[in-house]
Amino acid sequence: MGGQACVFYGAAEFSRDTDFAILADAANLVRLRSALADLQADVVAVPPFELKYLRRGHAIHFRCQHPEVPGMRVDVMSVMRGVDPFSKLWRRRTTIELPHGTTCDLLALPDLVQAKKTQSDKDWPMIRRLVEAHYFQHRGKPTTAQITFWLRELRTPALLVEIAGRRTGLCRRLIPKRPLLAAAAARQVDELERALREEETAERERDKRHWLPLRKELEKLRHATARRAQGV
Amino acid sequence: MIQTEHLVEDEWVEWYRLTPVQRWLESEKLWQTYLALGGSLDPEPDTQSPFFDARAPRARPAHGRTGLRVLRRRGV
Repeated sequence: MGGQACVFYGAAEFSRDTDFAILADAANLVRLRSALADLQADVVAVPPFELKYLRRGHAIHFRCQHPEVPGMRVDVMSVMRGVDPFSKLWRRRTTIELPHGTTCDLLALPDLVQAKKTQSDKDWPMIRRLVEAHYFQHRGKPTTAQITFWLRELRTPALLVEIAGRRTGLCRRLIPKRPLLAAAAARQVDELERALREEETAERERDKRHWLPLRKELEKLRHATARRAQGV
Repeated sequence: MIQTEHLVEDEWVEWYRLTPVQRWLESEKLWQTYLALGGSLDPEPDTQSPFFDARAPRARPAHGRTGLRVLRRRGV
């Protein structure tokens, strides 16, 4: 769901870890443990590899020691802020087949965009690229669902103005969900840029607030681990 | 209608014009080059990530050196 998915959809991230969104249930964890054992993967730091942490929204971090992927990091998550439950993600997934026959299941683009709305600087240009690429790929003959997606997620002022000018009715109906579309419809580019910055800031603040209790929990786990290591 | 090249740099225009699978394969080539140059698979620390732990141990390349070193530096 991370860098590789971004590359597929049109952004460009040279991500050295591999992120997986997984179904957090006991049977799936057995399968995952087996796959991780093949990769000779060990848990890095905290939290431990347990269902309860995945269900609370933590990521479990692994480092592989298999000779073909020495040091490769694998991160596993099940619950992401603002993102639908796994069952919905799975129904909407994109499955690709690579030339050598391997298949990969990726988050659908709208889900990937939601997952990228984090507190990190690096994720926001990524969202812009992802939606831009989708727009340029499909704008010739778009569906209403695609236009709705662009109006709700584009972060490129010029493109928002362009679509708002062509799809005035749909744009107006979406203003309650994304107020900055009013500026796009009025072709107020400066105002639109300001509103996009505000939208990003607000979303990043929400992500920070979401992570506050989880970060505290991680800190406690780190202290407990350090105390155990010191034999305290 | 806004043209792609009016909005993004040339390299992005080319990237956007590739099919998703072509992008994936180009990325694989980049990976092969990166690994051939001795690049590490350990991710860069992201201090903004909620998972960031400054005390976490990091993997080192098997030969004990970083994959990249500065041979010459000028200016600041």
